[in-house]
Amino acid sequence: MAFLELQNVTKTFGDHTAVNAINLTVQKGEFVSLLGPSGCGKTTTLQMIAGFVPLTEGIIRLDGRDLSNVKPAERGLGIVFQSYALFPHMTAAQNVAFGLEMRSIPRSDRDQRVRDALALVGLAGYEERFPRRMSGGQQQRVALARALVIRPQILLLDEPLSNLDAKLREEMQIELRQIQRNLGTTTILVTHDQHEAMALSDRIVVMNKGVIEQIGSPQDTYQSPASAFVASFLGKTNAFEGEVQASRDGISRILVGEYIYNTAVHIKGAVIISIRPERVSFAATGLRGTVRTRIFQGNHWLFQIETSAGIATVIRQNDGTSMPEEGHDVHLAWREEDTFVRTNGKVG
Amino acid sequence: MSKNGFISLLFHTLFVTFMLAPIIVVCLVAFTPEGYLSLPTNGFSLRWFEAIGRYPEFIRAFWVSIGLGALSSTIVLAFAVPAALGLARYQFRGRDAISALLLSPLMIPHVVLGIAFLRFFTQFGLSGTFAALLIAHIVVIFPFALRLTLSSATGMDRSIEQAAISLGARDWVVFRRVTLPLIMPGLISGWALAFIQSFDEVTMTVFLAAPGTETLPVRMFLYIQDNIDPLVTSVSASVIAITVLALIILDRMFGLEHVLTGHSDRTK
Repeated sequence: MAFLELQNVTKTFGDHTAVNAINLTVQKGEFVSLLGPSGCGKTTTLQMIAGFVPLTEGIIRLDGRDLSNVKPAERGLGIVFQSYALFPHMTAAQNVAFGLEMRSIPRSDRDQRVRDALALVGLAGYEERFPRRMSGGQQQRVALARALVIRPQILLLDEPLSNLDAKLREEMQIELRQIQRNLGTTTILVTHDQHEAMALSDRIVVMNKGVIEQIGSPQDTYQSPASAFVASFLGKTNAFEGEVQASRDGISRILVGEYIYNTAVHIKGAVIISIRPERVSFAATGLRGTVRTRIFQGNHWLFQIETSAGIATVIRQNDGTSMPEEGHDVHLAWREEDTFVRTNGKVG
Repeated sequence: MSKNGFISLLFHTLFVTFMLAPIIVVCLVAFTPEGYLSLPTNGFSLRWFEAIGRYPEFIRAFWVSIGLGALSSTIVLAFAVPAALGLARYQFRGRDAISALLLSPLMIPHVVLGIAFLRFFTQFGLSGTFAALLIAHIVVIFPFALRLTLSSATGMDRSIEQAAISLGARDWVVFRRVTLPLIMPGLISGWALAFIQSFDEVTMTVFLAAPGTETLPVRMFLYIQDNIDPLVTSVSASVIAITVLALIILDRMFGLEHVLTGHSDRTK
């Protein structure tokens, strides 16, 4: 049975619908990310789970129990905020101990659990430091320890790493992943960073304009995006305009520029073909184009290629083979199963 | 740090001189041995400080002022904190109207308030009582306390309170353990500013004070109507000395720049 269940959850502010009838179930121990651009409703959803924002419609159930009448203070959730939200007038240990104090945990037990929690996030020995004397990364760890020490039913993370620099963020991602796996805490992460969502999650919930566009594993959402939005939001993608032609022999063909290949899709007429830059390869035949720019990025090459179907982006691993140079004519090819084809509403 | 140009240096010098000169003159005159206000003075004497002791009504007025200021500032703060939290956090109908109403005493001349209060208190038989003074001062100093409390309440990160709530803290516990400590610098500065306003107020108070409830400024005002002698300067010098002392203590305890702006600098 689902551990956390959102049923038809809706939130409107005046005549603006921030979250529109979303349904989501989260299993115990799962790490789920709510991913989307700012204003997509992901933070509002998190705030509704936490209980800080009342639902306009719908039900949220935690372990089978309707949360409608459960106050935020009684939900037993651990939250890590983007701003860390540490109590500035308390030491690291006092910050972490706060939730245990509220639960009237006896002193000796409390001290032990605070020490354990700080050690868990790698801050043993920092007990007496005040937040203002700690770096951003350290403050973030204290916030994590404070949320975890109460053994929350669910850990809610609201853009927890977005204030850290790139290197530290990567380190924290790995650490966060390990801690979550070890403790088995059900976790919901709100983020606008697709890399973060993919690195950490069991499942990604892609949101846009208050609705869920797709729910799936990181691999699924990246490789088989359910919509154009998901395809473009999760990593780079090429979008070629083309046409599906049905022929008399019952086999459909796709026409992109002057490149024609057989297809199994069932739609007809004007289409948009999406394909990831790393799934496009140079071949003897295919979509003809000219290399406009070629950028070396260490482990891979990035090409911009002008074709009759528009500019194509191609990424090739730097495996030591020679690559076409700027100004050279090339042919681009791809496997049908790597494409995502949809009707081109603009034309049709 | 950029260096000041000549013009701005000149301006600041003149400005500071203009601000400080009268205070320095008052302090110097207070040490005159003469029986009249004189500067330059020949000699140095504490006779006018000793003279304060012969006028117990000055001492009593001083304590009335201190008591009135402390009590009215404290009461004002008890109202200003919930008002500031409400105004800072919630959008509701009439919010701007309430805000304007609470700040409106700033816009009414104190002489008008003095006459209005006098009429009002006479109606209720409160005229000349300490309670009447207290009520009038609460109204007049409220905007000062509210402004500073409001500025610290507005600047507060609400997710800090949400964090406390999520950890299981009840409303009252959140307020006592988290909100109050975080807005404390604003409260201290609000209290201090309200106290100074109350201690300083003379235009309105002169209508409301009776013998026995005279505040120090009112007492001095009445005294110089009849006498021109250095006694008022020695009283003034004493008040200045006490003020400077209070500022030094405040600075040592909280840091003066925080007290005057109402913001804590916790990120430092």
